[in-house]
Amino acid sequence: MEKIRSHINNISDSSLWNKLRLGDEEAFSSLFERYYSTLVNYGKKLMTGEDRVKDCVQDVFVDIWTYRYKLNEAIVVKAYLLSSVRKRIARLHNREHIFSNIKNIDSLEFLFDFSIEDRLIAEETTTKKVEQLNKSINQLSDRQKEAIYLRYHQGLSVEQVAEVLNLNYQSTKNLLHRAILQLRKDFPISALFLLLNFSPNYF
Amino acid sequence: MQNRDSYNKIEDFLSDESFQKWVKGNDDPLNWSEWTVENPYRAKLVEEARMWILAMATKETTLSNQETQKALQKVWKKIGRSNEKLPFRAIWHHKWFRTAAAVFVVGLATFFYYANLSSPQNTTITYQELVKSDLNGLIEQTNNSDKPQLITLSDASSVLLQPNSKLSYPKIFTGNERKVYLSGEGFFEISKDPNRAFYVYANETVTKVFGTSFRVIAYANQPNVEVLVRTGKVKVSSNQNIRNATLEEVMLLPNQAARFVRKEQLFEKILDITQDKPLLASTNTMEQLSFDFKDIPVHQIFKTLEQGYLITIDFPEEKLKECYLTTSLSDVPLPEKLKIICESLGNNSRYEMNGNYIKIISNGCK
Repeated sequence: MEKIRSHINNISDSSLWNKLRLGDEEAFSSLFERYYSTLVNYGKKLMTGEDRVKDCVQDVFVDIWTYRYKLNEAIVVKAYLLSSVRKRIARLHNREHIFSNIKNIDSLEFLFDFSIEDRLIAEETTTKKVEQLNKSINQLSDRQKEAIYLRYHQGLSVEQVAEVLNLNYQSTKNLLHRAILQLRKDFPISALFLLLNFSPNYF
Repeated sequence: MQNRDSYNKIEDFLSDESFQKWVKGNDDPLNWSEWTVENPYRAKLVEEARMWILAMATKETTLSNQETQKALQKVWKKIGRSNEKLPFRAIWHHKWFRTAAAVFVVGLATFFYYANLSSPQNTTITYQELVKSDLNGLIEQTNNSDKPQLITLSDASSVLLQPNSKLSYPKIFTGNERKVYLSGEGFFEISKDPNRAFYVYANETVTKVFGTSFRVIAYANQPNVEVLVRTGKVKVSSNQNIRNATLEEVMLLPNQAARFVRKEQLFEKILDITQDKPLLASTNTMEQLSFDFKDIPVHQIFKTLEQGYLITIDFPEEKLKECYLTTSLSDVPLPEKLKIICESLGNNSRYEMNGNYIKIISNGCK
């Protein structure tokens, strides 16, 4: 059977984004539907109170629509949205802590612990190793955890992680790399990794 | 993306989406299992990467579609509010501005009132709303029987209205548009008039034609609206009064159909009705009968019409015994069909139509 699904699901983020910039309500709604859940999930890791987070995400979209004619064309939509949510939460955060020393979004806490996919582990030795590794990961700094989350769970590139965290590329790369190094140190490294440490491709 | 054969560190695997999926027990189209065992070093690395992924799980909750839609409506509301707020600020103290503002507010209120009238908040449109918004006096025909019911419109178009269906239409079409409203299911045969398009409004869809035959299925409580084309060319679009509606249009040719999924507000185009089971099931004798006749005795033609339209045709059997016709009647509504037949018979033959009962008056074909 041949069917044409003349729908928006197959349309790329960037073409929806460009339509949105020209005032296309449908494109706007589609992007909202596509990312609302993701953004709420991310926001919940930066701020407590699910309703506040949802409000925040919605306000990000209100702003996008209100200033649609001023939006930049050349962006990666997902990274832009994650970054907007983060900035907005940081601003709220600053307002609430007006008398504290917190001044910028670097100070946002990443209220989140990675968990274990235990349903997928069969052997006991693996369980132990995974638990240990999980503990080490959760002991990383908030920034490192957030970088890992954005890079490996949201699938952002290093450049995009840098944009969201408001850091430059090199610092972000270092942040991620130091996180991995730290984990290796804590984690019983197999001979293979030692070997790879000398390989020229390593970095 | 980098070729996986050159992966040599954990990070390479962590950032590979298909690898993550495989680890988490979802699909494995790239066949990671096999790739892994191709070489022992690789297997070791993969095992480590697997553990990392297992140790880095996140518990993400996916919000329901319903919740997302609610949030989206909230966003549109907020957008509306922030637009209203803009003009009121620093100049509030000027007297002229207050006057202007008062006028503006009244205007705005009026505007939103009327805007709301024509665009209901939710994304579904009901037959009642449609009929209410049409200011011409309409006749409503409801078919509560268990048999299809034939309706002839003022332009000689015919509609076979299915049971549990309603059609609203003006007594006489005026102006340069012909508009009818359907709830339920109907088979339409529209008389040709290139200057006056014919529109069928059914739930969230609008079907526009100039003269063809097609079926529209639009029950208020069904998830889809379907338009099936038998002859001619039909254009289906979403009703522009739906909030956020795109001006999406689907052109349909014979034996094609469009299905409007109401929940998602989108069209599917079906290129061959006979290949789509649910659609095929909803076609009936009307679509299966051929109205192309080649040297066929006229009583048999009448029989075909009776089957298709579920009508009774009364005709002088004896007088028309020797009459054979060759004609193509598939592209015209029933009154036109009858007219063509009578003209072909000649001899001042004519017909009278009274609901589902048709009487042929003829003295035979010479």
